[in-house]
Amino acid sequence: MLFENNDFDFDVLSLAGFNFQEPNNYFGYKNEEKLVSTKEGFLRGNMWKNEYEPYKGMTYVKLTPKNEREALLYQIMEYDFAVNDLNLYLDLHPEDESIYEKFQEYVRLCIELKDRYAREFGPLTMDQTGSQNYEWMKNPWPWDKSGGSMYV
Amino acid sequence: MFKYMKTLNYPVNIKKRDLKMAKYLHTQFGGSNSELAAALRYFSQKFTMPDEKGKSLLNDIATEELGHVEMIATMIKQLTEGASVEEMKAAGLGDMYSEHALGVYPSNASGVPFTTGYFAVTGDVLADISEDMAAEQKARAVYENLIELATDEDVIGPLLFLRQREIIHFNRFKELYKYYKKKGY
Repeated sequence: MLFENNDFDFDVLSLAGFNFQEPNNYFGYKNEEKLVSTKEGFLRGNMWKNEYEPYKGMTYVKLTPKNEREALLYQIMEYDFAVNDLNLYLDLHPEDESIYEKFQEYVRLCIELKDRYAREFGPLTMDQTGSQNYEWMKNPWPWDKSGGSMYV
Repeated sequence: MFKYMKTLNYPVNIKKRDLKMAKYLHTQFGGSNSELAAALRYFSQKFTMPDEKGKSLLNDIATEELGHVEMIATMIKQLTEGASVEEMKAAGLGDMYSEHALGVYPSNASGVPFTTGYFAVTGDVLADISEDMAAEQKARAVYENLIELATDEDVIGPLLFLRQREIIHFNRFKELYKYYKKKGY
């Protein structure tokens, strides 16, 4: 699973070499060509097609959610990650409208999913106070190992 | 200010106890090229960044690094959970056990406590950012060493994720460095 037999379509060029390409070299590309999907980006730890440098042909582990709650949580983490990775780029390129549009889209999706999660499973941030009782302090916390199927 | 979100940056779900790996991973918790050093380095340097680009980038990467500190500490916790004293001794963790038991303490792999001597804050934009670039490369190299030492996919997965983050951060810092250089700093 760590190697190149995953389900995703890979950018063959970036997998083939470890060529370090400076971000500036591909600003002329279209938005869609610069980014991978949020799912692939999250698993890789890298949303940028031309900045991905795998180690010794290893790619990433495929995450398999064990239940509905974990699936929703992974989706939130996925969009939250995309927001973060685009945010670092936008700090240096606030004028890039197409990436800002993508950023806005991911922020919107992330907020929607977090609200849904809070309604169904409990708050992820302290200000999600929709439930009847105080649930913020409840287990599991992200570092807990709860049979591998709770928060993380 | 900071607000907590009740997830990790990337899932850590380690089912198999591995005390030796826990010992090695301490290097990224409290060692010289650790996530903790990264977080505190950028957090401290952000106060003397001269414009919006530097302030925002250092602030935002520092914040992300704190999430990585949490991931590494979580890995250590899960790898050591439920270990007996005998097992700790056998894995070379007797020294750590004497002071910390199963507590997760920011030290390097040899048990040397974390120190802010691991990073610099010079107040000089170019000096600070070139240190940041070097720090990301050193952390990437450490992650590759750790990936070589690891045998469990549950451990390797998060390490591969964290290694990619070093690459992205390096690229951003490099861009920022060039931008300031061009501006005449």
